[in-house]
Amino acid sequence: MKPRIAIFSLTSCEGCSLAILELEDCLLDILGAVEIVNFREGMTERSWDIDIGFVDGAVSTPEDMKEIEHFRECSKVLVAIGACATHGGLNTLKNYQDESDYRKYVYGDQAARFPTIPAQPLSGVVDVDYQLPGCPMVKEEFLEFVKVVLTGRTWHLPEDPVCVECKRNGTLCLYEKGIMCLGPVTRAGCNAICPSYGAKCEGCRGVVHDEALKAAGINLREQYDVDLQDVLADLRMFGAYQEKTLP
Amino acid sequence: MLDRVVSQSQLLALVDELALSRRIVGPVRRSDRHFYGPVDRADKLDLDFKYCVYSPKAALFPADQTLFEFQTGPDGFQTSPVYDESPLALVGVHPCDINAIRLLDRVFSNTNIDEHYLSRRRQTFIVGIDCPTPCTSGVFCRDMKANEAREGADIMCSPLPPNGVSDDVRYGVVFGTDAGREFVLYSHAGDPPTVDDERASERYISDKARAFPQSIPYDVDALPELLERSYDSLLWEATARRCYSCGSCNLSCPTCYCFNTYDRLEMTLTSGTRQREWDGCQLRSFAVVAGDHNFRAKAAARLRHRIYRKAKWVKEREGVAGCVGCARCDRACTAKISSVEIYNQLAEEV
Amino acid sequence: MAVLGRQPTDKAKSLYEPEPAEVVSVEKLTDLENVYALQLASGHPLGHLPGQFVQLALLGIGECPISICSSPTRPNTFELCVRRVGEVTEHIHRLREGDTIGVRGPLGNGFDVHELHGKDILIVAGGLGLAPVRSLIQYILDERARFGQFHLLYGARSPGELLFRNDLTLWRERDDVNFHMTVDRPDEQWRGRSGVVTTLFSEVPRLEPGETQVVIVGPPVMFKFVVLEVLARRIHQRNIFCSLERRMKCGVGKCGHCQANNVYVCLEGPVFRYGELKALREAIE
Repeated sequence: MKPRIAIFSLTSCEGCSLAILELEDCLLDILGAVEIVNFREGMTERSWDIDIGFVDGAVSTPEDMKEIEHFRECSKVLVAIGACATHGGLNTLKNYQDESDYRKYVYGDQAARFPTIPAQPLSGVVDVDYQLPGCPMVKEEFLEFVKVVLTGRTWHLPEDPVCVECKRNGTLCLYEKGIMCLGPVTRAGCNAICPSYGAKCEGCRGVVHDEALKAAGINLREQYDVDLQDVLADLRMFGAYQEKTLP
Repeated sequence: MLDRVVSQSQLLALVDELALSRRIVGPVRRSDRHFYGPVDRADKLDLDFKYCVYSPKAALFPADQTLFEFQTGPDGFQTSPVYDESPLALVGVHPCDINAIRLLDRVFSNTNIDEHYLSRRRQTFIVGIDCPTPCTSGVFCRDMKANEAREGADIMCSPLPPNGVSDDVRYGVVFGTDAGREFVLYSHAGDPPTVDDERASERYISDKARAFPQSIPYDVDALPELLERSYDSLLWEATARRCYSCGSCNLSCPTCYCFNTYDRLEMTLTSGTRQREWDGCQLRSFAVVAGDHNFRAKAAARLRHRIYRKAKWVKEREGVAGCVGCARCDRACTAKISSVEIYNQLAEEV
Repeated sequence: MAVLGRQPTDKAKSLYEPEPAEVVSVEKLTDLENVYALQLASGHPLGHLPGQFVQLALLGIGECPISICSSPTRPNTFELCVRRVGEVTEHIHRLREGDTIGVRGPLGNGFDVHELHGKDILIVAGGLGLAPVRSLIQYILDERARFGQFHLLYGARSPGELLFRNDLTLWRERDDVNFHMTVDRPDEQWRGRSGVVTTLFSEVPRLEPGETQVVIVGPPVMFKFVVLEVLARRIHQRNIFCSLERRMKCGVGKCGHCQANNVYVCLEGPVFRYGELKALREAIE
């Protein structure tokens, strides 16, 4: 029997679930192998008997809280897709600001009608079986994930940093241009797409491992003349790292 | 002794001739740097380059390469190997990288012959360009005895000092292989060397000997023994504290050849390919065995492993040095860990 | 370099291409281990030495190194003991009789049986270490006249983890092998000996130092204590052998994954002399 798939969105731009529709070349192959039973961006029918539930977006409102618990209950396997779902994403920027300030500039005089809570990844609320990080989620990685699931294997995220992909691609290291790129501390799997266009890695796939972060703390202090606060701000952008100081 | 003298425009014409039957990979300018890249015409090359950010290794040993294709079904499976035998010319390869290719040649042809590498290599014509001066600061190719390459290239071109007659750069050409000799002589490019050319070539060689600084204050033949006594040095841990374990040193190294294999499945789930991709001993998962035990769990052990390979083990196994002193590892390291600095620090310990 | 001569490529086979083999039988040994008898689809025998290994491939999933646990003196099929520890072995455990699997090999050096001929033999196996050395045990038993005394000691953690129970019974019944076994943690049903494998040395009579070859296969922690016992019996270091477990990947000495110090375990191993192993600090620390 084909696995029954659902795709849900919490607080986010829903770009990650849209990315699935953008898999035009392979979409028909996927549809041949799975049955999509619940997908607001792509269909009107709804079913709650779900083998694999994909969720993009962060838990950022009381409503999100209720929904993610429901999704979890209905999905045998729950997969967080995109930086918001895996790390909290851009939504977590508000966690560093005064609540009344951001509520006022986001919702204006209607703020009272929109309750919010500090943003957090799905894993802060429910058990998550698999994570497909990135802003947006990497389409190719999603495809690989689907194949792995269909062949009864266990999905593993790459455990190497982005630098590995820059080197395999022959991309010029941004440090050679004096740019503090987050590639050395960020999980690979995006094919180092930002550096390949000359833009620094901003860590949207999260910190690859603590050892790298520890090395970053030492190197930025001892080898580079940079403001650690700037680097921290970069690390916080997609929720990759929430602590106050670098280890 | 020179075999031939060609001007730069004549050399470019030779490359165009190679391009009639071969893919050309050579130095091209991109993002203010030089990289080895594919060109269809010689005038797209920049032969006045100082160095290329990465070595031309990927042309012979691609970062991600298909080893075989497979098809599975109810009755089992079929496989068919994939070899790339399309003729290639690597143009503008410096001595360090030629020496690195000599190591790869050896590694992929001894004990078990790796046709995936060798089928490409056999079809590769190498136009070497010698370096009159160090290409950039920090290189230690002279110390590694790799700033000249007497074998490995099909033709080796050294830019001769100006003779006051022509503005065009003139190269003294030495044939490295019969294929190189036949190609140049058959195309009638350039001229036989004159007595003046031979003198210019001698001056080139003596100028070059003075132009390369010594970066390591001892003969590198002593490195294996030096390392033998440094296994328990505190330097490994002290240096590795900064290491991101990002593998950039490995993956930018012209002599690193370790790889990982994985299967790529088509969406049909019944066919696919076995791939190999560059891997590196500095990456944390490199020495993990079944059951998740890691034989080199600490960055210090991984760093020591890399330096021992480069300066001791590869030479002992293959008879060819595992490091050519190109310093790409040092430049690639965002933690500013430097292998030449390690070689120097170790010498101070004993 | 001769291979770089511009002769045409021998396209017949890639180093990395597995050949199909049929699963002839599957036998469950423990909760974690099955033993598979395979036959190459070509009909040829595998042509291995005791102690060699193969790469088992499930195309689309991956490969894993498995030591061959049957002797080449029984050439119709070859046997592999597969412990379920990872992705590939998990999928291998789903195979049934008649299924096809990919095999590359035999790989590695194996035991030099000629060096063992005419000698007294002591084999000490711990845990899963019995699997690689079973090929040698079978070989010795099949060619029994070529060897002197044969002492065989086996230790497992618990009765449930004992491998090859039929063999164990068989070996105990034979009077041409001095076989003893023990478990670290006995359960209530266990009637045999308990304690670590070194306690079995009390069952080994005087060994002739120059005439005895010793083979030790087991977890690294066991290795040191067994070597101590063996050296205490004045066995020559060059006559002590060990087989190493490492994650072989390419199996042909290129990819670097199994490298321990300056040694490629898949080429120079997995069988090493004690003297060689001493220098491989990464292998024994």
